[in-house]
Amino acid sequence: MPDPILEARSLTKIYGQNVIFKDINIKVTEGETIVIIGPSGTGKSTLLRCMNLLTGVDGGQVFLDGKEITAKGYNEDEVRQHIGMVFQNFLLFNHLTALGNVMIGLTKVKKMPREQAKEKAMEELKRVGLADRADHYPGQLSGGQQQRVAIARALAMDPRVMLFDEPTSALDPELIGEVLGVMEKLARDHMTMLVVTHEMGFAREVADRIIFMEKGSIVEEGAPDDLFDHPQHNRTREFLWKITELYGKKEKEKAGKS
Amino acid sequence: MLVNFVSYIVQGTAITLAVTLIALPFGLVFGLTLALLHTYGGKVLNRLAALYSLFMRGVPPIVLLFILYFILSGRLLNLSAFWAGSLSLGIVSSAYQMEILRGALLAVGGGQMTAARAVGMSRLQSIRYIILPQALRIAIPPWSNEASIVLKDSSLVYALGVPEILRRAQQLSATTQQPFLAYGTAALIYFLLVFATNRALDYLSARTQLPTHP
Amino acid sequence: MKRIFVLVSLLAIVSLVLTACGGGTSSNHLDAIKKAGVIKVGTSADYPPFESVDANGNKVGFDIDLMTEIAKRLNVKLEWVDMPFDSLIAAVQEGKIDAAISSFNYSPERDKTIDFSDAYYTSEDAFTVADGLTGNITKPEDVAAYKVGVQTGTTQDSWLTDNLVKTGKLPEANLFHYDRVDQAMMDLKNGRVDVIMSDYIPAQALATQIGGLKIVYHGVLSSGPLNIVIPNGDKELQQAINDIIKQLKSEGFIDKLAVKYFAQ
Repeated sequence: MPDPILEARSLTKIYGQNVIFKDINIKVTEGETIVIIGPSGTGKSTLLRCMNLLTGVDGGQVFLDGKEITAKGYNEDEVRQHIGMVFQNFLLFNHLTALGNVMIGLTKVKKMPREQAKEKAMEELKRVGLADRADHYPGQLSGGQQQRVAIARALAMDPRVMLFDEPTSALDPELIGEVLGVMEKLARDHMTMLVVTHEMGFAREVADRIIFMEKGSIVEEGAPDDLFDHPQHNRTREFLWKITELYGKKEKEKAGKS
Repeated sequence: MLVNFVSYIVQGTAITLAVTLIALPFGLVFGLTLALLHTYGGKVLNRLAALYSLFMRGVPPIVLLFILYFILSGRLLNLSAFWAGSLSLGIVSSAYQMEILRGALLAVGGGQMTAARAVGMSRLQSIRYIILPQALRIAIPPWSNEASIVLKDSSLVYALGVPEILRRAQQLSATTQQPFLAYGTAALIYFLLVFATNRALDYLSARTQLPTHP
Repeated sequence: MKRIFVLVSLLAIVSLVLTACGGGTSSNHLDAIKKAGVIKVGTSADYPPFESVDANGNKVGFDIDLMTEIAKRLNVKLEWVDMPFDSLIAAVQEGKIDAAISSFNYSPERDKTIDFSDAYYTSEDAFTVADGLTGNITKPEDVAAYKVGVQTGTTQDSWLTDNLVKTGKLPEANLFHYDRVDQAMMDLKNGRVDVIMSDYIPAQALATQIGGLKIVYHGVLSSGPLNIVIPNGDKELQQAINDIIKQLKSEGFIDKLAVKYFAQ
């Protein structure tokens, strides 16, 4: 097995008396797409935020390309430009156009000359199919478009790995497809990705590996077909049953609407 | 003679404007620093900034003006009444401007900071390139209100012997026994100044408004 | 604990700054004035005929002319600093100005923080009423039955407070304070108060200007002599000004000024 790009070793996060998650071990290797599923409130989002140091950890270590980034005195700001992150609620910079959103990391963090940054940013916008929206402000874009700009913003930094924190859960159903489409394309292009999502269809089709998390620990992990068709644990089975029920209903609603 | 009197009051306008144009920017720089310390400066600085604001806003401006005047204009610094008065007004205003900007920083929201940090920006870069451009936009309307308050409060420096509009109106009212004319002229000038200031800032606010519809 | 420490050190710094800024005047103040060639004198130019401004913003009045002559004889230039009456004593105390002339009356309270020159003129107090007032005011205590107006911080204010309010003769609610005497007189005319206690000379001037007012009593009650305010313990300046006042009195200069400004 090749060396992992991003690795969590017995990672633990505690808020006051509450253990958010404990002893989590995850290895993300080059070109791999890992999807984390599980009920809400099991610490999946916090886990992602700990892995790019947006939130401090209370135990364990995180490694990027074999270097421990949780080590004391490590330059956090430097680390984050190598780990792209996409948020549930997009979090585009509201005062900048789509192009400005993608450019600002290049000009201010990577200190790239403006012209070069602009060229690169336009390329990234093309990649997510939004070149024609370059001069639109976030307020002028749909949710799906905003999320695609957010993906382009993260991609522009040429990250080693991309973290997706429920990228479609704030979207209207008809806008989910365009975002998942972009993510699928990324996976095909062998971008290394760690995705938290409730989109089971996406998980099954795109993921190389699925991790089922519940109540702050990893219950089970495996290849998509194995985990979906032959879950080893009762809790996994229960969760999958509930979520497919819900997912099926949604699908039916969608069919009924059109 | 009346024409002369009115022009004497109008000459005070230059002083009123000068006092305001010193006090407002000084209060802005000072208030912005305090707002940033309060929001991002950690526990101790947060408390200190809050304490400062509480004190400055809890004491009548005229009282502070006198205290600050005698500090700023003492043997140590020895500023003129004009400068001491203007800076004192700026210090008083800084507490109010701090509150305005603090509210604006809060309104921008923590998410923007998170997103900026996620791109690899330092805290300082995030504040400078992401938070402030948005917060300042949000702050323009309440700041416009503070600008007119400072403009009107600039009349307080008359107590230190700076001959601005109000002080001149008082003198002329005493000389001519026509208080209505004297104070009416002063009121009209203040009104025009405040009106022009608010309109200018409304325009700025509209110009910097972020588009929301396609 | 930490917070208390921060507070205490802040207070310490503030008091340090205040001490550094305050402090008494140097003993050779007069020499310093002569060396600089300028004397900075404070006045509240809103009290005609003693001190006011003319149509061009120039200071005019009894005190103004007097001080101009005193400066001339001190052989220094005169620089006027105009500020509200209430600020003048503090400004002298803090050394912002070298002296103040603004029809100040001697009072033991004021004498604690600043010094006075010899009297350059003796003024009387007056009670002014509107023409239509019913009732009789023959002696000062009679005003206790009316609504009385007075300028804040003046000797008349102290006199009314000490002799009528504190003795229970005049209800506190019936003593009305004004920033300026002319405002008080306007209110008198408009019927908001019944009697104004003020200096006699400006009362005469205002009664004539405004019309419909009359002075029902005048005499030395609260004020009397007018003095120039100088910094506490400033013997040299006090002596120099006193000498000049003496000269001016003997030359008839001050009587001439009184005729110029106070003659009806």
